[in-house]
Amino acid sequence: MEILNRLVQALYSGILNGSVYGLMAIGLTLIWGSLRMLNLAHGALYIAGAYIAYGVLGGLGLPVPVTFALAVGGAALVGLFIQLILINPILEKPGRDSAALIATLAASIIVQSTILLIFGGQTKQLPPVVDGGFKVGTTLISYQGLVVIGAAVVCLLLMTIFLRASRLGLAIRAISQNMDAAKLMGIPIVPAFVVVMVISAALAGLAGVLLGSILFFTPSGGFTPMLMAMVVTIFGGLGSVGGTIWAAYIIGLMESFLAVYVGPSWALPGIFLFMIAMLVIRPNGLLGLGEVRRL
Amino acid sequence: MIEADASRQGQALPRSAGDRPRLRPAARPWAEPSRLGIGIVAVAMLILPWALMLVDGGNYVTHLIITFFVWGIVAQCWNLIMGVSGVYSFGQLALFQVGAFTTGVLSFSVGVSPWVSIWVAPIAAVAAALIIGLPTLRLRGIYVVLLTLAFHELLRNWITTGPQWISGGGYGLARVPRLGFDRLLGPQYERVFYYYTGLVLFGVATYAIWRVLNSPIGLAFRALRDSEDYAISRGVDPFRFKLFLFAFSAFFTGLAGGFSAHYNGLASTSLFDFGVMINLLVMIVLGGWGTFAGPIFGTAILTFLTELLRAFDLYRILALGVAMAVIAVAAPEGLVPVLTRAFHSLFGVLFEADEPPAT
Repeated sequence: MEILNRLVQALYSGILNGSVYGLMAIGLTLIWGSLRMLNLAHGALYIAGAYIAYGVLGGLGLPVPVTFALAVGGAALVGLFIQLILINPILEKPGRDSAALIATLAASIIVQSTILLIFGGQTKQLPPVVDGGFKVGTTLISYQGLVVIGAAVVCLLLMTIFLRASRLGLAIRAISQNMDAAKLMGIPIVPAFVVVMVISAALAGLAGVLLGSILFFTPSGGFTPMLMAMVVTIFGGLGSVGGTIWAAYIIGLMESFLAVYVGPSWALPGIFLFMIAMLVIRPNGLLGLGEVRRL
Repeated sequence: MIEADASRQGQALPRSAGDRPRLRPAARPWAEPSRLGIGIVAVAMLILPWALMLVDGGNYVTHLIITFFVWGIVAQCWNLIMGVSGVYSFGQLALFQVGAFTTGVLSFSVGVSPWVSIWVAPIAAVAAALIIGLPTLRLRGIYVVLLTLAFHELLRNWITTGPQWISGGGYGLARVPRLGFDRLLGPQYERVFYYYTGLVLFGVATYAIWRVLNSPIGLAFRALRDSEDYAISRGVDPFRFKLFLFAFSAFFTGLAGGFSAHYNGLASTSLFDFGVMINLLVMIVLGGWGTFAGPIFGTAILTFLTELLRAFDLYRILALGVAMAVIAVAAPEGLVPVLTRAFHSLFGVLFEADEPPAT
């Protein structure tokens, strides 16, 4: 029975982790695939979502679902500003890679220190959408956890459908496959970039809101989730949405199994060591799509 | 770049016996340094601590200058990797900490003389750099960012949760023995000797970096950064060069870490904070990413500005972020090239050779 309990515990928290990593990593991989840059502000957008929800809830006292929608919108708005003010001006410049790295890092510092100035450095937590839960063996499975998993899975599915079936999604995939050809076919590149940034910011904000009701958070709390999302993005093969979703759940489960069976302090080092080993052996990621087929 | 210039002007490119590209005199100013200028700076730096001592007892400003020496070395080393060779490594601070904790553990927990252990620090840092460098440097871009950040997090994790003789209970080693300068002329002059030690380290590191930047090795790095494919096709092996650079910059970074630990009597885990890394990065970005003088200039500005703005500490970080954003959008190459160009366009008439310095 003890064995079963631990297994349930590991599976539940692994799927929970995986869902959130998936939401985070999809945004990173979209941006990497189309804009060809690493968005170091992704963690800040995640934590911005959580704090906007906290502020709206404390200041306006709106019902929880409305608050969450506002927070996701707020994170998307922050992403829009970052894209318009910082990223668009440097898109065409030489030395774009390093400029983008600095610009997104700067954005993350600005967002984080603004949060610190407004809310202070104490840990905060959001109230859950639904209270309560049930027990499987000794593991408490909260309804909130199920909401998180459900919302994440729905969003990931919607993302996949959006990329495969809508005109805009097709445009984004075309850009990620060959930017020059897409430009020649008349796809407006810069507006598509803005859309990608807004979507990925909204997803990061959603991840922040969802996880904010389960975990405590601080202004700098976006760093570790971003690192994990980067691990997931790379593990899934950069720029591959399908691979990223699989990788999110694999990494999430690996983290929780390591934490349950080896010890909590081994979860992060274990994953990083695994990551290093994998990069040495298979530098193109799990599904190894290489340069040609992405998204 | 320099080769291309020469051939554009129709000059035959002289080749020496070792088949190394010969540089034009304007591209190798170290060959004829202005003796007078260097002499004046050197004498000024030698007198400075005594002059400061007359002004305010010398403690506070001298301390700031020593801090500047330490972070100036680290910023220059990081700039070598990030700016010059274009490897987005975020592991420099971790290498600094490797140096600090190596000498801290050896001198405090094991009891080795600090004068011996401080030399183990750079060796340990180089070893650590080789360990990260071997898997990392074959990869590029985002992989390097991730692996080096992971190394940073792992090291922070291991040191803060490690056994008592490493972690000091989680906050670091608080009583690292100092270098014993107080026994030379008396405690009131201790800081002056730290100043001189820091000055020597800073000077040696700066000179070494200057030589590397302006040698064929430096040209190879710039070629790799600007067009890796083309550089490879011209016979530059990126892996070997990057590994060399990684080890080279780790040596001085580790040494700076060791010196800092003995000077402050402290190997602190709080230096792993992301804010410290940001601070360092702003030093490089503000002054000029990939230039020689940029990181030195940036470190000087930030070290003294941080002290002036200590009362507004919360807003300081916000201001750093805004400064970084402005630089990234408006002047990605940093302040030093911009100011140099402004200087040349304002006073260019006064100079015969109107060439911008090799950056």
